[in-house]
Amino acid sequence: MSKSLYLKLNQISEVHEKDVYLKDVAELYSDDPAILAKCLALKVKKISSDRDHRYVGSVLDVIGLISKLDPSIQVENMGEQDFIIDYQKPRPPRLGWEWIKTAFVCVICFCGAAFAIMTFNNDASVTDVFREIYRMVLGHEAEKVTVLEMSYSIGLALGVILFFNHFCAWKVNTDPTPLEVEMRLYEDNISKTVIQNDGRKESGIDVD
Amino acid sequence: MWIKLAFLAMFGLCAGGIIAAGVFAFLAIIGVFPRLIGKTGTKRHIMLYETVIILGGIAGNGMDLFEFPIPVGGTWALAIFGAAVGIFVGCLVMSLAETLKTLPVINRRIHLSVGLQYVILAIGLGKMLGAMLYFHMGMGM
Repeated sequence: MSKSLYLKLNQISEVHEKDVYLKDVAELYSDDPAILAKCLALKVKKISSDRDHRYVGSVLDVIGLISKLDPSIQVENMGEQDFIIDYQKPRPPRLGWEWIKTAFVCVICFCGAAFAIMTFNNDASVTDVFREIYRMVLGHEAEKVTVLEMSYSIGLALGVILFFNHFCAWKVNTDPTPLEVEMRLYEDNISKTVIQNDGRKESGIDVD
Repeated sequence: MWIKLAFLAMFGLCAGGIIAAGVFAFLAIIGVFPRLIGKTGTKRHIMLYETVIILGGIAGNGMDLFEFPIPVGGTWALAIFGAAVGIFVGCLVMSLAETLKTLPVINRRIHLSVGLQYVILAIGLGKMLGAMLYFHMGMGM
């Protein structure tokens, strides 16, 4: 009797060890605990080089390995057809460097956002438009700072917070924030490109 | 009089909200921040980055409209601000070019197969030279 094994490969898995086992790159399910344990501990790749690299594998190779292990196992693939093993050398966490990078990005984010809104205000001549509107409604010239500028600033703050869906740790609702969504899309594109580039080169995918 | 002022306040509030959504949606979608975060590998701090972007937007708008003086930092603060804005705009213009698929299209048309890194270097140097000429000649005046 053939026994079913359900295999769900992750698109990308980060590994720090040179011996990559099936449990590192996929989720498995089987009715038979013995098969499950055997397959979880199946070695799918041995990384030989020392440098950080992304290796691309195919589900066909994994199925081949499993049937070599036990030909009676019926593999059902529920996940990706190509998968990426992202090998990164095990290295001690460098918290200081991490925070320097974070601070660097923070400075760019802060100045960039400030600059973007300033250039927009100047491009669109927001202050001139406000003066016009003020004159239209109240019938006399505006002094330097009017109620319009103040409420505009408050509205802008509310708008950005609503758009980004949170302020510090407080969230407006449980949706992921726009940057999280964009980050996900960006990473998906990277994975897709890595897989497709690998296919184009037709370099032999060695899973041993 | 009070009704008119209330109308103006309401008007400003709505204008601010809509413009914030527009400008910041553009910033988020153009892909500068995901790229910076991806390059530095600091995805854990995504909430912090967004908070900083929010604060930057509010501060920039306040500085622009109310022109309040900033008493700290002097030249050094300006240098840091300039460098950060430069990096940001550099990323932004290339993101725009990339969104419009300029380089891939040119690559396809003239079958550029080697030396893409020099093309990119040339774009960077050209942008730097252009910016320097612009400020040196006072073209913006």
